[in-house]
Amino acid sequence: MHELLERTIREASSYFQNFLIHEYSKKSALHAVDARIKLIATIIFVVLAVSTFNPEKVLLVLIFLITISAVTGLSLRSIAERVWLFALFSFIVVLPISLSNPIYPVTFTLRVATSLVAIQMLVMTTSFAEICLALRSFRVPEVFVSALWLAYRYVILMFKELLSILLARESRRVSKGSHMDVWRKGGEAVGLFFLRSFEKAEKVQLAMEARGEALSHYHGKLKMLDFVYATIVAFTVFWWVII
Amino acid sequence: MHIPDGYLDLSVAGLFYILSIVVLGYSIYRLRGQKLTSLFGIVAAAIFAAQMLNWPIPGGTSAHFVGGALAGILLGPYAGALAMAVVLTIQCLVFADGGITALGANIWNMAIVDVFVGYYIYKALERFNRSIAAFVAGWLGITLAAIFAGIEIGISSSFGYGLTVTVPVMGVWHAILGIVEGVITAGVVSYIAAARPDVFEQKAAPGKLALGVIAAMIAVSPLFAYAAELVGYAEPLENAAEIIGLEENPIYEGLLPSYTLPSLDPYIGTLIAGVVGTVIVLGLGVILARYA
Repeated sequence: MHELLERTIREASSYFQNFLIHEYSKKSALHAVDARIKLIATIIFVVLAVSTFNPEKVLLVLIFLITISAVTGLSLRSIAERVWLFALFSFIVVLPISLSNPIYPVTFTLRVATSLVAIQMLVMTTSFAEICLALRSFRVPEVFVSALWLAYRYVILMFKELLSILLARESRRVSKGSHMDVWRKGGEAVGLFFLRSFEKAEKVQLAMEARGEALSHYHGKLKMLDFVYATIVAFTVFWWVII
Repeated sequence: MHIPDGYLDLSVAGLFYILSIVVLGYSIYRLRGQKLTSLFGIVAAAIFAAQMLNWPIPGGTSAHFVGGALAGILLGPYAGALAMAVVLTIQCLVFADGGITALGANIWNMAIVDVFVGYYIYKALERFNRSIAAFVAGWLGITLAAIFAGIEIGISSSFGYGLTVTVPVMGVWHAILGIVEGVITAGVVSYIAAARPDVFEQKAAPGKLALGVIAAMIAVSPLFAYAAELVGYAEPLENAAEIIGLEENPIYEGLLPSYTLPSLDPYIGTLIAGVVGTVIVLGLGVILARYA
């Protein structure tokens, strides 16, 4: 089971860097833009990118996104680091189609990369609390948004608990065990972990009820900054349409 | 199995958003007044954590546990679907794992097909043997979810490969990886059945009619996707423009019509128009940076 633990910790450490990425990304002007505007802008940028196979249009959106990121002070290097791998994967997957349609793999990869850049611009500049409040202001049901916020806050804690269960079992193990053994015994450990999660959920629910269960709402008015960003998004749509 | 943006046609993505919202909306309605917020939140965090485990498989590679069928078995299909939807939404909006336009399809595959199918199979086989029922539920749930992902991508004309490639690739690969999912699901269910059998008894039996309707929705959703694709909305904005005649009679020619200038090579015209647009965005960006 040590293999399970080692692999998991190695992968998780890089995966969990995504948490609080907005905190350690270089502060940019985009950080100050209202999350509601950024969420809608992201959806618009992605829709513009994946609505066409015209390479000029897709490239236009990508260049605009890179320009916005650069001017507002977001690290292009960080964005590239978070996008290149999946863009390359997408390119390789569709590469054989270049035999019949040479331009397709390039356009397809550009679409995927542009969408990823748009999402990364949101992720790197917006805390999840702001995203949750933005979702709430868009009338996403409260029970769902509260659960999102709760799950986000508890993920690392729950992961730590899971690792400690696996580590405790591993430290008591004497035989090496086959893959099947690892899966079966690991499954039992995960079973214990889920039981603990139910108990924790019960306690958290009681604590929430004791304090009064309510999610805060957005009261902030849109600022001039938000209107400027909305203008950039509207201009991008306009320029995309008039090609 | 998380589908990213750009792989699905917007019509297919939109359809699965609608289907997912209908089922999740009904699930919230079914569970109203039960004060389950923390259960969804904490169990979703637990599923998320369990998904991080990197299970070694023979040959040096590894597999991840998805947990859809397990969520259905432990929480019931409605709460299970909501917990999985929470996980997928966080993965999309925090980790950029799965696309924003594809979130509806990802929820459909992993939070609805996997959860409900896993639940149905477990309930059908439970009376024979609990462990085997959980194994089949975990294995078939994930395999079917992957097949649905293959269907959605294969039907979309945006993706260069058709159904004959995407469905076998996704289905066969996940049928193999799904064995790990099945074994772990069986391990978890057996352990909880032995340690806390009350967990399985606490859930109120969900309405049979609703479950039947959701099963029918799952069964016919590929046909819906096929119909959505037939409508030809691969490039919806351009198609809409074509339908209302904008292509023939542009309402606005732009400063640089079609990105070109008269008596200018079209490519150079496009380049100039692109540069002009970028300069304007640059200017607006500078204003944005100044206001911040």
